[in-house]
Amino acid sequence: MAEPVSLEYKIEGNDYMVAGAASNNIKNTLKMLGIESDVCRRAAVVTYEAEMNLVIHAGGGILKALISEDKIELCTVDEGPGIPDIGKAMTEGYTTASDHAREMGFGAGMGLPNIKRNSDVFEIESTPGVGTQLKSTILFQK
Amino acid sequence: MKINELCKALGADVQTPGDGEREVTQVTAGDLLSFVMGTAPEGAAWVTIQTHLNVAAVAVLKDLPLILIAAGRKATPELKLRCEEEKICIATVGETIYGICGKLAELGLGE
Repeated sequence: MAEPVSLEYKIEGNDYMVAGAASNNIKNTLKMLGIESDVCRRAAVVTYEAEMNLVIHAGGGILKALISEDKIELCTVDEGPGIPDIGKAMTEGYTTASDHAREMGFGAGMGLPNIKRNSDVFEIESTPGVGTQLKSTILFQK
Repeated sequence: MKINELCKALGADVQTPGDGEREVTQVTAGDLLSFVMGTAPEGAAWVTIQTHLNVAAVAVLKDLPLILIAAGRKATPELKLRCEEEKICIATVGETIYGICGKLAELGLGE
């Protein structure tokens, strides 16, 4: 791959009808580039969970993917309510999803843990009232 | 076991046929989407009572070619349409999740 491939999506908040479309697009791009299937699988989980966090919690935001020679970097930026206690948010089973979201099967409290588990490098920064930035890097096998 | 054979054995009401010739050997069950996203083996059949469009997003991303909707529930028109586009088989079965999983185990499918 000569030049890195950069993808960017604007994710609308509370739009459950198109949720997952950006993640699917990124997965298809990775497949098209011939990226190994384990990386495609992990990237699909990371992007889906990150995308759903934007839809459910943040009132929307931006999802970006940068695919280079040896890795894929996935990041989200939002101006949502922020996460007051990241430690709690990283605990499997903890959720602040609305009743409506839970009825649809969201709010398992596994979003951020799923992202971390599938990342080689995982970073999250959040300021209540300002927003959240998340970055996940998945390295390709040598 | 092939998807179309499996649907027949379960007496399922097939709503979108998907790739009926594809083999399925594993099963996942659950209604929490992130749980399925995090734990389902690729290529597995998915047993759930969820019927809305986001089910398709998880099935596509995890490459789950068969969605068995339990308790006689039907896919929403949006879910049906998306599954047709993605060649995912959706089938409704009258039994509960437990009942379906029991039958799938008898048919030799595993976790």
